[in-house]
Amino acid sequence: MSERAPTLVLDRASVAYGDVPVLEELDGVVHEGEAVALIGPNGAGKSTLIKALLGLVPVVRGRIEVLGRPPAQARRDVAYVPQADTLDPDFPVSVEQVVMMGRYRRIGWLRRPSAADRAEVADALERVGLAGRARDRFGTLSGGQRQRVLLARAIAAKPRMLLLDEPFNGVDAVSQHALLEAIGSLKAQGASVVVSTHDLAIAHLACDEVCLLNRHQFGFGPTGDVLTPERLRATYGGHALELRGDRVIVTQT
Amino acid sequence: MILFEPFHLPFMARALVELVVLGALAGTVGVLVLLRRLAFVSDTLTHTVFPGVVIGHLMAGDGGIFWGALAAGVVTAVLLTLLTQRRRVSEDAALAMLLTTLFAVGVVLVSRQTGFTSDLTAFLFGRVLTVTEAQLAQTAVVTVVVVALLAVLRRPLLLRAFDPEGAQAAGVRVGLLDLVLNIAVALVVVAAVKAVGTVLVIALLIVPAAAARSLSDRLAVIVPLACLVGAAAGWLGLVVSYEASVGYGVRLASGATVVLVLVAMYGLAHAAGFVRRKAGLSRARRRSVLEAA
Repeated sequence: MSERAPTLVLDRASVAYGDVPVLEELDGVVHEGEAVALIGPNGAGKSTLIKALLGLVPVVRGRIEVLGRPPAQARRDVAYVPQADTLDPDFPVSVEQVVMMGRYRRIGWLRRPSAADRAEVADALERVGLAGRARDRFGTLSGGQRQRVLLARAIAAKPRMLLLDEPFNGVDAVSQHALLEAIGSLKAQGASVVVSTHDLAIAHLACDEVCLLNRHQFGFGPTGDVLTPERLRATYGGHALELRGDRVIVTQT
Repeated sequence: MILFEPFHLPFMARALVELVVLGALAGTVGVLVLLRRLAFVSDTLTHTVFPGVVIGHLMAGDGGIFWGALAAGVVTAVLLTLLTQRRRVSEDAALAMLLTTLFAVGVVLVSRQTGFTSDLTAFLFGRVLTVTEAQLAQTAVVTVVVVALLAVLRRPLLLRAFDPEGAQAAGVRVGLLDLVLNIAVALVVVAAVKAVGTVLVIALLIVPAAAARSLSDRLAVIVPLACLVGAAAGWLGLVVSYEASVGYGVRLASGATVVLVLVAMYGLAHAAGFVRRKAGLSRARRRSVLEAA
């Protein structure tokens, strides 16, 4: 992996909202084509780290570099996938229109979407398994399908880095599979993926690296090395329960 | 024919143009107000423009109304944008305070005038039959400016309304965009002062958009439909108030009549939307049964 270019560098980075530090002393490197899972309890600062990678929350000490640039200057090549259930299901937009939003940066303000833009939208929907739903209203889809549409929007932007905030929350098995497939194919094309999740099994399945977070960093490295019972107990405090020596369940997220 | 006959009178023709243009403009802007759930923010704007109207009138007579309203509108658009960016303050309470304070300032100022009641009525509820050609020109300019703004910014505005976090992540300057929309709403209020007054304009903004929304799920339909509903209500409202006063001797205030026509149209649209959704549901059910078979 080491011959691949680093796409995300955390160098003793601390992140704060105003005077309130949220995350302190983060260290780690992610390379092209790698996925890292951000794991930690609610309020650990996972979403804040994602916002910091977008340049929306300031780095107060240390350094964060995204694609070799300060985060705010890398946005053009970074796509963000919010949680689908934060969006208004009554909003009058079609699935196709939502995915086209991923192309806005390339289309600009005035030009009409070209045939190439439409082809990218169709291709992105294909990759998340929703090609047949393009004309449906976004809000009529299930929660998992909406999450897939938002991933398709990110894919249509052709990002070099993808940031996903809890994409697997409340998502059915079919959608989970489709999301994992699409993330895998983006990785194969060289994109880096940062995904926050509560689900340790998904971290094992989809990610090469794990970053354990709870205000501080409790580990960063290859999934197998980092997801140990000791470290999970440290991250989750008393809310991690060990099963048969090598498996851990988290009792409170 | 009753729909056209009154407009041979020049003052009625001017009123018609004013109300139709205004209805179309407010209908268009109203779609964004509806999508962003800014009804209360817009209502605040309508009330804070009022003292500007009064001050403009005190300083320069009828000709000063537009400029006073414009100044007050832009200032409050900026204030409201700043206020709604900070989520810690209870936004509702702050808005209500701003609204009533500035409204009271307007009333205090206008009550020092000799023609108190008549002026107050005109500022609050409009007097569309006395619209001049200069005021028509002002409305036209405002319409062109606002429509051009919305057309140019339609994509970032849509993205910001649908997914504010995603918009920020995509590099959209959300604060600036919010200011632009608030100023657009302020401009509609300013343009509407003469025709329907500062109080009734909120109906012009909200009702056509709500009616169009209940008839369609597609923005490409909703925007022109809201525009059409706004314009049609302006026309019909004017015809109704003219007929009532000329034909039956019942004097109806034209601005308020327009609003009532709008609400009636909303009622019809809502009923039609209900039927449409029922039909859509049974169609979907039939389709899923067919697919299952």
